[in-house]
Amino acid sequence: MNILELHGVTKQFGGLVAVSAVDLEVPQGSIFSVIGPNGAGKTTLFNCISGFYRPEAGRIIFDGVSLVGLRPDQIAALGIARTYQNIRLFGRMTAIENILVGQHSRLKSGLAGALFRLPRTRREEQEALDKAHQLLDFVGLSGYGDMFAHNLPYGQQRRLELARALASEPRLLLLDEPAAGMNPRETEELMAFIRRIRDELHLTILLIEHDMRVVMGISDIVAVLDFGEKICEGTPQEVRCNPRVIEAYLGKGVA
Amino acid sequence: MKERKVSLGLLLRLGIGLLVLAFFAYRFYGVLARQAYGAETWARLAISGLIIGSVYAVIALGYTLVYGILFMINFAHGEVMMIGAFAGYFVLEAFAASGFSARQPVLAILITFLAGMTVSMLVGISLERIAYRPLRGAPRLVPLISAIGASIFLQNAAQLMFGSMRRTYSNPPALERNVGWVLDVAGKPVSITYTGVLTFAFSVVLMIGLYLLVQRTRLGRAMRAVAENKEAAALMGVDVDRVIANTFAISGVLAGAAGVMWGLHNGIIYHYVGFIPGLKAFTAAVLGGIGNIPGAMLGGIVLGIAESLAPAVLDMPFQLKDVLAFAVLVLVLIFRPTGILGEVLAEEKV
Amino acid sequence: MGLRTGIRTGLIAAIVTIFLILIGVHMLMGRLLQSWFYVPAHWPGVWLMVVLLGLWAGSRAVGQMKARSWGNTLLAGASAGIIQGALVGAALYLLASITQAGVDLRAWLTQMSQESIAALTLGLAPLPAAGFIGGVLLVSAVAGAAWREWRLRVHAARLARGERTVSLRERLLEIPAVAQVSSNPLSRRVLMGVFMVLLLIAPFFLGQYWNYNLGTVGIYVILGLGLNIVVGMAGLLDLGYVAFFAVGAYTMALLTAPQPHHIQMSFWLALPIGVLLAAIAGILLGIPVLRMRGDYLAIVTLGFGEIIRILSKSDVLTGFTGGPRGVRNVGHPVLFGKDIGNEFYFFYFILIGVILAIIITRRLEHSRVGRAWRAMREDEKVAQAMGIYTLKYKLMAFAMGAAMAGFSGAIFASRNSFTGPEDFVLLVSINVLALVIVGGMGSIPGVILGAFVLKGLPEILRELEDYRVLVFGALLVVMMIVRPQGLWPASRPQLERPRPEEEALEEAPAELVEGEVGS
Repeated sequence: MNILELHGVTKQFGGLVAVSAVDLEVPQGSIFSVIGPNGAGKTTLFNCISGFYRPEAGRIIFDGVSLVGLRPDQIAALGIARTYQNIRLFGRMTAIENILVGQHSRLKSGLAGALFRLPRTRREEQEALDKAHQLLDFVGLSGYGDMFAHNLPYGQQRRLELARALASEPRLLLLDEPAAGMNPRETEELMAFIRRIRDELHLTILLIEHDMRVVMGISDIVAVLDFGEKICEGTPQEVRCNPRVIEAYLGKGVA
Repeated sequence: MKERKVSLGLLLRLGIGLLVLAFFAYRFYGVLARQAYGAETWARLAISGLIIGSVYAVIALGYTLVYGILFMINFAHGEVMMIGAFAGYFVLEAFAASGFSARQPVLAILITFLAGMTVSMLVGISLERIAYRPLRGAPRLVPLISAIGASIFLQNAAQLMFGSMRRTYSNPPALERNVGWVLDVAGKPVSITYTGVLTFAFSVVLMIGLYLLVQRTRLGRAMRAVAENKEAAALMGVDVDRVIANTFAISGVLAGAAGVMWGLHNGIIYHYVGFIPGLKAFTAAVLGGIGNIPGAMLGGIVLGIAESLAPAVLDMPFQLKDVLAFAVLVLVLIFRPTGILGEVLAEEKV
Repeated sequence: MGLRTGIRTGLIAAIVTIFLILIGVHMLMGRLLQSWFYVPAHWPGVWLMVVLLGLWAGSRAVGQMKARSWGNTLLAGASAGIIQGALVGAALYLLASITQAGVDLRAWLTQMSQESIAALTLGLAPLPAAGFIGGVLLVSAVAGAAWREWRLRVHAARLARGERTVSLRERLLEIPAVAQVSSNPLSRRVLMGVFMVLLLIAPFFLGQYWNYNLGTVGIYVILGLGLNIVVGMAGLLDLGYVAFFAVGAYTMALLTAPQPHHIQMSFWLALPIGVLLAAIAGILLGIPVLRMRGDYLAIVTLGFGEIIRILSKSDVLTGFTGGPRGVRNVGHPVLFGKDIGNEFYFFYFILIGVILAIIITRRLEHSRVGRAWRAMREDEKVAQAMGIYTLKYKLMAFAMGAAMAGFSGAIFASRNSFTGPEDFVLLVSINVLALVIVGGMGSIPGVILGAFVLKGLPEILRELEDYRVLVFGALLVVMMIVRPQGLWPASRPQLERPRPEEEALEEAPAELVEGEVGS
């Protein structure tokens, strides 16, 4: 069963077509990678899925629900979480608070609950805090919980961003070049961790990456984007051997 | 397959827009039906709107230039204009006292403009150096607050130095205010003042000059490059700091010229004189599409004429003229935030 | 090297000096010294300023140099002093000779009275006076340069010996008593308690005047806490905040005053109505403008604030709001048949309001709502991707801030028994914004401190009255450059539970745990 389906999604800026009639079918529980050189339209695709751009044409179906026209916060509430290529944490909030914000759509209390300290609100906050601690442990950040996010070292920031995304209990996790700025050893650890997330939390992961070697090891399916068009799709093995991919992408001396 | 849901918000905005238009039409019809104003009044209003509009356009250019490069609203721009107006005022006072403006009116006016433009340019440069440059790269709110602080500072410094009384520009005798050619419209006289013609003509000269500067010179090329992409421009060997300083200098020169024109044409200046024109010029810049140079010119003239004609068209007290400009600002920002000529910016950071 | 730095610094120093003289700061210094230290004349204060500016020029010139030596230092100091002295001297010569010719300069430069210029010329003729001030500036610039060079050398020597510089805070913490009090939450509470008791009994000892002023500070604390929600937490720069203050005040005035509407409702009924109407106004204004980007929002709210003021001043609404003359005889609160509308009772009333506002802000700050606000402030798009419906939360912030402004406006109108358009100038918005920023955006103690500094201090320093707004403007710029987090920055919540088996904290480098101030 596919948790996410894209049919003919097209997005243009002025005259520039950033994403052109892209079809994707992401099976439930898979690790699906979209790769392509810089400027191939990968991030634009993410922005279409998470609701920041409205595609000019095409359909995006998440678990039977059409996402086109929904606001980003509604899409997040449906169970899609994301991280960013250039880490975007809430800098002047602590690590724990970042995770608590991640839980936003799973919590309910509003103004009245906060102002009158209703028992229901207090219980909810307590549970949210418990969960935040669990996530902190899960990503290996215990001890850093009370630090401002922008004071954390780079690697910890990456992991905090992951924890924040996981806090919303997503069914689909969008990771935008999670290995950017990491050395090969860190990248390997991260990939193992991503697999662990999928296995332990039973969610689907959609990953974009410009360096195809990074994702070969963990991806179930790889789709290649070039100039906004999907040029091929398949298992890592198939993609690696596809002549169009080699020409468009790996041809630059990596093959 | 193209699928487009019509959103509720769009319908709502369209509906409100139509309602507002219908209301305008209704009021205007009433005014016309009563024949409340003769043709000469309409002509007079249109001419005065055109003149004020050209001053707005010159000020608006300063906002747009800075916005185009730094993506910040130079809140203190109106105050830069006010200081230029004061500089011109002092020069003219001296010339009037010494009799120079009676003997050499052309030279006197020229020097007055030069003084106003130079002083405003220096203020503009220092403003950037002191209040904005240290904040480059900070969150957006930070330079904006600094700009507001600078605006308040300049306004109060002027009040402390020059007092809060209203001062009258002493124009040279050859350029008296409210004197000019008289046209005949429907049998009634409509005067076109000399100061008005000077203001309009000089505004047009400044606009053409700026356009040529931006399109044809090395500096203009560098400015456009920095506006497009600071990092790339720096890599191509453009001195970004200097280009930004020059941009502030140019916008200061324009503000200074506008200040002197304001003084010569309207006659009255005081420490608060830059504030409202500044806001209106900003409105004009937004109306035309902020960051867009022809847009600022168009926006200024449209706003000037609109605010001059609107009280008569809508049959409302002339006291509320200023409210109208703000209303235009709000309406433009709600219905067409990119302005008349503004294009949709390419991939916005989301 | 030293020469160029000196000339540049001298130029800047000369402009600053002439500017300060033109806005009359030298006379202000003179008067301050006169009234505080019982100096018999004001020339000592005037010349203190001149000497200080000379010292500053010399010291700054040295500070700007990269390669230093005693020769270079003296060269820089002297060149700065010569340029500063020559330019200031020339300006003084010009001013003094025009004044001597019998022209009253005040017609153009209001601060340049005979007296003001005489304080600088010391009764000398223009030329010798110019020479004298130039000489003084030169000598002080050289002295300033030498002093800075000496300080820098001492500092370098200390560094070479491996001593590190100690900040004032660290020195204070070395005193055992201070360390104990600051680390012990109980003693902090005791200190707070003492402060509260002092506040509670203060009105019995302060006169009417100070009770009134303390009340004003309190009103600004409430306003500040309200704007703190909007600007400090939600990151929405609202420059038309005064509009909601006006809604509260006019609601109170129109509902309780005999003119122009003859409703004469009770204060206690009008107060909640005022708060509610202000909140509704916040939402109504918010719906169209809150979709806009941050800087547009600032200018549009500013425009709205002006629209409200122009409308309330114009003849259009005279029948409804009393027009430019305002509303008189606004009702007072009556409790148990007793009119409690004087400064003394209002002080307590406002104090209750302040405490309420503090409780509200505190509870919101660390709730789901407050976190959503702060997340929006940090990165609106990411906040949206986390499931926060930003428009809804922006409206909430606007409404909460507006409600607090409405509350203070209602009290303000009732306490003054009057309200009119002039109570709602842009300056009020700027004032509140300045106190929030100076105190510390998002910080409750910061806002209170800001209100005391910017609203209370000027009452004590009455001589500074004319310069207050100028200082606000300068403070906004300086704070943004030097200390954007404010005097008393918001504290980090301590939410992580200690887990003895974890030793991660010790592994974390010390500066990471300590560092609160960042980019």
